[in-house]
Amino acid sequence: MDSPVIHRNNVKVLGRGTQPMLFAHGFGCDQNMWRFVAPAFADDYRVVLFDYVGSGKSDLASYDAERYSTLGGYAQDVLDVCHALDLHDVIFVGHSVSAMIGVLAANREPHRFERLVLIGPSPRYLNDPPAYVGGFERADIEGLLETMEKNYLGWANVLAPAIMKNPDRPELASELEASFCSTDPVIARRFAEATFYADNRSDLAAVRAPSLIMQCTDDIIAPREVGEFMHRALAGSTLAMLRATGHCPHMSHPAETIEVMREWLAPAGAVERGAERRA
Amino acid sequence: MSGARDLDAMLDAAPCGFASFSDDGTLRVVNQTLLDMLGFGRADLVGRHVESILSVGSRIFYQTHFFPLLRLHGRADEIFLLLKPREGEDVAVLANAVRHERKGEWVTDVVLLRLQERRKFEDALLAAKRAAEEARAVAEEQRRAVESANALLERQAMELEMSEAQLLEQAAELERQREIAEDANRAKSTFLAMMSHELRTPLNAIGGYVQLLEMGVHGPVTSAQLEALDRVTRSQQRLLRLINDLLNLARIEAGRVDYDLRVIPAEDIVRATVVMIEPQLAARSLRFETDVAPGLSVHADREKTEQIVLNLLSNASKFTPPGGSVILRARESAHRGDAVEISVIDSGEGIPPHKLEGIFEPFVQVERSHASSLGGTGLGLSISRELARGMGGDLTAESTPGKGSTFTLRLARG
Repeated sequence: MDSPVIHRNNVKVLGRGTQPMLFAHGFGCDQNMWRFVAPAFADDYRVVLFDYVGSGKSDLASYDAERYSTLGGYAQDVLDVCHALDLHDVIFVGHSVSAMIGVLAANREPHRFERLVLIGPSPRYLNDPPAYVGGFERADIEGLLETMEKNYLGWANVLAPAIMKNPDRPELASELEASFCSTDPVIARRFAEATFYADNRSDLAAVRAPSLIMQCTDDIIAPREVGEFMHRALAGSTLAMLRATGHCPHMSHPAETIEVMREWLAPAGAVERGAERRA
Repeated sequence: MSGARDLDAMLDAAPCGFASFSDDGTLRVVNQTLLDMLGFGRADLVGRHVESILSVGSRIFYQTHFFPLLRLHGRADEIFLLLKPREGEDVAVLANAVRHERKGEWVTDVVLLRLQERRKFEDALLAAKRAAEEARAVAEEQRRAVESANALLERQAMELEMSEAQLLEQAAELERQREIAEDANRAKSTFLAMMSHELRTPLNAIGGYVQLLEMGVHGPVTSAQLEALDRVTRSQQRLLRLINDLLNLARIEAGRVDYDLRVIPAEDIVRATVVMIEPQLAARSLRFETDVAPGLSVHADREKTEQIVLNLLSNASKFTPPGGSVILRARESAHRGDAVEISVIDSGEGIPPHKLEGIFEPFVQVERSHASSLGGTGLGLSISRELARGMGGDLTAESTPGKGSTFTLRLARG
């Protein structure tokens, strides 16, 4: 556990099992989002949590604008964590954009990954008429970027320390530290651009590992059409439709999330692969 | 109960929007202020998803940031959102929200403040921030340009310094060469002076003893012996003259000659030199004339001037065949008002043009058609010119082969 990657990516390992289950957080948050789901697998697996460089409590000094201007840079973080812990037969759990990051990582080192759990994935967020519905137009993404800019989450990192450090109110400092959305606004913007302007549809064909696509009801970020597109494009994929609404079932509906995952992960006989499963 | 109704009324009329929604996003409560802000009726919103009042960008933000914050922290403060009204432009708001359990259900209560005015200031601030960043980038670029221009100037300055150093070195080298040359010159003069003395002493001895022999001091002398002795004497004299001339030249070149400059009537010089040259001229049957402008004086060294004029007359008489003529002329210079020209004009063989300048060089004697040597060391003209220049004048020559030559000594007017 000596590798600098451990510190760089704020890697945490828990669990009694041997097979690694690697949880990758989505855009906007950090590994805390797995708080309600990851512990459930600690008995059976070696649970690994981490923050991408630029998110959570990762080492911001390691941020490289060029590397992280595309999702490939983030995929390398995943691989770096695998190398640092010498992980094999990894069950990769990725939320939102991390689903595609996992696909890219698995394509680079297929031998490392046994299977992929993709929660609310999308290979491309922008519509591509006439056939592809990603759900958004450019103007929508620009609106997101404006909203992000106007939210001072994470600005503590860039404003002069004199302004933000307040010895009279030490609780403020800890409050800011505790706020897991306190990412550097410049880094956050670049991550947003890398995520929402990406097109990784052509990367799906190369995936060999079996995958579970967890599709929420009424998810504006990963709508049903996208889930179905993913299912068609990924060989050996299972499309699971959830009762959970919104985009973060692992936070809004952790119990259902855990149940669906457990069923799919169960030994081969219990679940038919390549089939749709309805709740 | 009136208390509860009062609260409801107060909430509805509050100077901010208020909404409450469940975890799945369903709006349960909206106050009138919010409805008025967005132009909806209560029935339009209650039961709808909270996303339906958010702009698309804010919906994404809600799913990726706002909801996770609420879920994990229980609250989210000062969140900027753009609400979507029934019609018209998006409404900018600032939201404070808290997620808690109420009556066994998790709900989120959110307060929404209109931010239109502040949004303008924020937009201006952000634009200024971006402009400042751009300006900084431009300044950085310019700084780099100035730096590289500076570096270029520094290199050029260094090159100039090197050139200057080189030039100084060259100047020092030239100075060294000059000193070496001067040293060599002085060494030569010293050598010549020494050698002249060494050479003269034995020659004088030769002359002395020959004279004694001729006088019969050492016994009777036959006429044949006298003839032989005469030849010895002539050779000795010639050697002596050569040595004297060499020494003279060395002294002149070393600048070790003193010039005693006085005002001398030209007549005096002419008279003195004529007396000495007359025998030679008569012996060669040469016609001789003098032509001296009245009242003419020179500012010069008498002895040296006579030496030069004598030299010229001697050459004229040597190189003019019998029956020819020699004229000694002294008059004001036609070109310069402050100079006097003393010329010796002969009707001799003349000197070919290409040899004219060379005759002033040491040891040069114009080749002659007759075989007989006319004596002379070949130093006469070079010495004469050095002396003339030493007095501030010059010695020049003109000639027409077959017709004659004119040698002109220019001196300062006295």
